[in-house]
Amino acid sequence: MVKLNVQLSKAGSAAPDAASSTQGAPAAGTLPDGDPRILEARNVTISYSGNPAVRGVSLEFPERKVTAIIGPSGCGKSTLLRSFNRMNDFVEGVGIDGQLLYRGIDIHDPRVDPMELRLKIGMVFQKPNPFPKSIYRNVAWGPKINRYDGNIKQLVEESLRKAALWDEVKDRLDDSALGLSGGQQQRLCIARALAMSPEVILMDEPCSALDPVSTSRIEDLIFELKKTFTIVIVTHNMQQAARVSDTTAFLELGKLIEVGETDQMFTKPREKRTEDYVSGRFG
Amino acid sequence: MNLLAVDGHDKIRYRRLKARIFQSTCCGLVWMCVALLAVLLFHVASEGFAYLNLDFLTNNTSYKPEKAGIHAALLGTLWLVVTTAVISIPTGVAAAIYLEEFAKKNRINTFIEVNVANLAGVPSIVFGMLGLAIFSRLFGLKNWVIAGALTMSLLILPVIITAAREAIRAVPNSIRLAAYAIGASKWQTVAAHVLPAALPGIVTGVILSMSRAIGETAPLITIGVPVFILHAPGGLNESFTALPMQIYSWAAMPQKEFHGLAAAGIIVLLTVLLLMNATAVFIRQRAQRKLKW
Repeated sequence: MVKLNVQLSKAGSAAPDAASSTQGAPAAGTLPDGDPRILEARNVTISYSGNPAVRGVSLEFPERKVTAIIGPSGCGKSTLLRSFNRMNDFVEGVGIDGQLLYRGIDIHDPRVDPMELRLKIGMVFQKPNPFPKSIYRNVAWGPKINRYDGNIKQLVEESLRKAALWDEVKDRLDDSALGLSGGQQQRLCIARALAMSPEVILMDEPCSALDPVSTSRIEDLIFELKKTFTIVIVTHNMQQAARVSDTTAFLELGKLIEVGETDQMFTKPREKRTEDYVSGRFG
Repeated sequence: MNLLAVDGHDKIRYRRLKARIFQSTCCGLVWMCVALLAVLLFHVASEGFAYLNLDFLTNNTSYKPEKAGIHAALLGTLWLVVTTAVISIPTGVAAAIYLEEFAKKNRINTFIEVNVANLAGVPSIVFGMLGLAIFSRLFGLKNWVIAGALTMSLLILPVIITAAREAIRAVPNSIRLAAYAIGASKWQTVAAHVLPAALPGIVTGVILSMSRAIGETAPLITIGVPVFILHAPGGLNESFTALPMQIYSWAAMPQKEFHGLAAAGIIVLLTVLLLMNATAVFIRQRAQRKLKW
């Protein structure tokens, strides 16, 4: 278990400094082999039209682990999550200070193509958002537009299997994705993300629109997926964070209050506010 | 009967009465419109039906009512409408895509947006003057099909743009984000997801605007489209006349037979309009079915 601590920028002594991380070829990566940090936020402040939603957050995300970001509504956890694959580019008036690193590469380096970044860092949204097309085309479209030159049919099947949806939909791949239940739609969205073979999957409250049975299926899936992928999950459901994550970060009013191993966070939090929150005294 | 022993039983009855009055007023108004339309259609049909035959469709106009037909005007209208559609639909949809998907929110774009909406309300004669000054005179396109089509395009572009923008805006943003999140470019997202989803709404706007183009007379008069023309246009650079112009000129004739011809012309115009709308509705239904919302 890699320990995550609240890290101020200066504490990241093992990390290459900011300047060198932006000078190498962006595709090559500048972290030494075996460095477990795949994503890193360094003193990140994100504001909407000047109002900060995330304030000076520094966080590291270890590879092939599930990291949960918890906190009350409006604490900036979704904003932070969306900044990792530059989905905030589509929101007007967003300003980002500080550094966001993917394998040591500053994702705002002008040489980083945000479209390529999103191939490495996939995303699952709060509300299931399948395309209003067939189940098959939902999964196949991404590889198709990115000129996948393998067998797309096979890739669709693999992705649906990995998302634990294949058995339920294999006989109706040409039916509309909108005929699926909410939980199935969300697993389809996960399959759609998996088809791009990302390294990281960002999940923005993926179960908040689902019933408990569908939720537990998604959680089972997360256990399976973390063998291959790095997962960052934002949730306002603390039981869920406790069940699925290896490390948990607690945000409040845009500030990182505490981060640590999930067990420790829920049993012996160091901060009083974390304790209040995880024990349900507020929030 | 106050079976449930509700307090204020009488008030509820009064409320229900008000609802009934409202409902029957609306219903009455709808039927009044339908009845007026029916009377109009009946009048036109009874007057024009006698003149409607194959000769009427294949003859060109004439000073002798028994020889006059609508051939040149019908083909002129088809030329005009098809050319207008070819010019205005791609331009209008492209402008709508740009304004909705690509344009940054700044003053210039807000100014453009407001003015596109305003243009939709400008009287058609004004567009006629513009067409006369720019297309007919400046570009030297005279009173040819292309000058008429360009003028008509100006007239209906605001309608197409506004309708297409509404349709594009109604596509849920989550669909766009889903596409971006798997590495799609803006154009791929628009082409594969936004446009197909917006298509039914866009087609509705196109139907409305084409119906307007087919019925407009004022801009054609202004650019000098003749009413008496003895041949159908054979290309974009030939003068032409259109159904509403022909109908108008017949209706203004003193002989009673020409009024019958005008009525027959109206039937032809309405049939063309109906066929066009039916095609568009068919396209819209198909698009909606394919969408599988």
